Amino acid sequence: MTANYKISYVVRGGDHPGAIVNTDQRPLVGDRVKLGEREFTVLEVIDLIPPRGDFHYLHVTIQLAKN
Amino acid sequence: MDLLSVLKNAELFEGVTPYELDALTKICQQRTYNAGDVITAQGETGDELFVICDGFVEVLHSDSPSDPSPRAVVNLGQGQIFGEMALVDRGPRSATVRAISKETIVQVIKRDDFEELCEENHHLGYIVMRNIAVDLSFKLRHQHLTGQ
Repeated sequence: MTANYKISYVVRGGDHPGAIVNTDQRPLVGDRVKLGEREFTVLEVIDLIPPRGDFHYLHVTIQLAKN
Repeated sequence: MDLLSVLKNAELFEGVTPYELDALTKICQQRTYNAGDVITAQGETGDELFVICDGFVEVLHSDSPSDPSPRAVVNLGQGQIFGEMALVDRGPRSATVRAISKETIVQVIKRDDFEELCEENHHLGYIVMRNIAVDLSFKLRHQHLTGQ
C-alpha cells in the first residue's frame, strides 16, 4: 500500500505563507522541494500527529534554496 | 491520472470503500483554472467544495471588506481541499482562493449532491465529515506553526 504524506511546509525567513501539500515521498533534511515556481531546502522534518490509514502528517521547515 | 486514482489519494476520502468512492466520482465535476483566476471570493455565498488534483492555489484573507491588500495565509497543493467551511456551516466564504499555477485542476462537489449521498449512505457521510474535521484541524495546526 502506498503511503501518503500530508505536509505542512513552514518557510523560514522571507514572505512565503507556507503550504500544505500531499506527496508520496517522505522529505529528508537537505532535500530540495518545489512549491510552485520557487525551490526550497528542507531544514527539519517532524511527525505532527500520529498516522491515520495511509496518511502521515508532517511538519517540515524549509528555506529558500541558494543556487 | 484518472479520477478514481485522484480521489484515492485525497485524504478527504481516506477510509471510504471502493463502492463509495465510485459513487463519489459520479458527483465530481472537473474544472481547470489559469494562474490569477479567482475560484472563491471572501464574503460570497458558496455551495461547492474543491479538491486540488494538480497545481497550487493561494488562500487570501482580508481583515475587512475595505481592506485593499489581503494577506496570503497559505498555499494549497495536490490532494488538498478548500471550500469545506461553506459546505459544512453554510456561511459566507471565509477567504479568497486564487489559482497560482499555469494550469490548476480541481474536482468540484456541490453541497446538495454531497448531502444527498451522505443521507443515502451514513457510513460515507461519517467518514467524509470526520476527514473534513481532521483537515480543518491540520490547517489550524499549520496556522499555529506559521505564527499567524
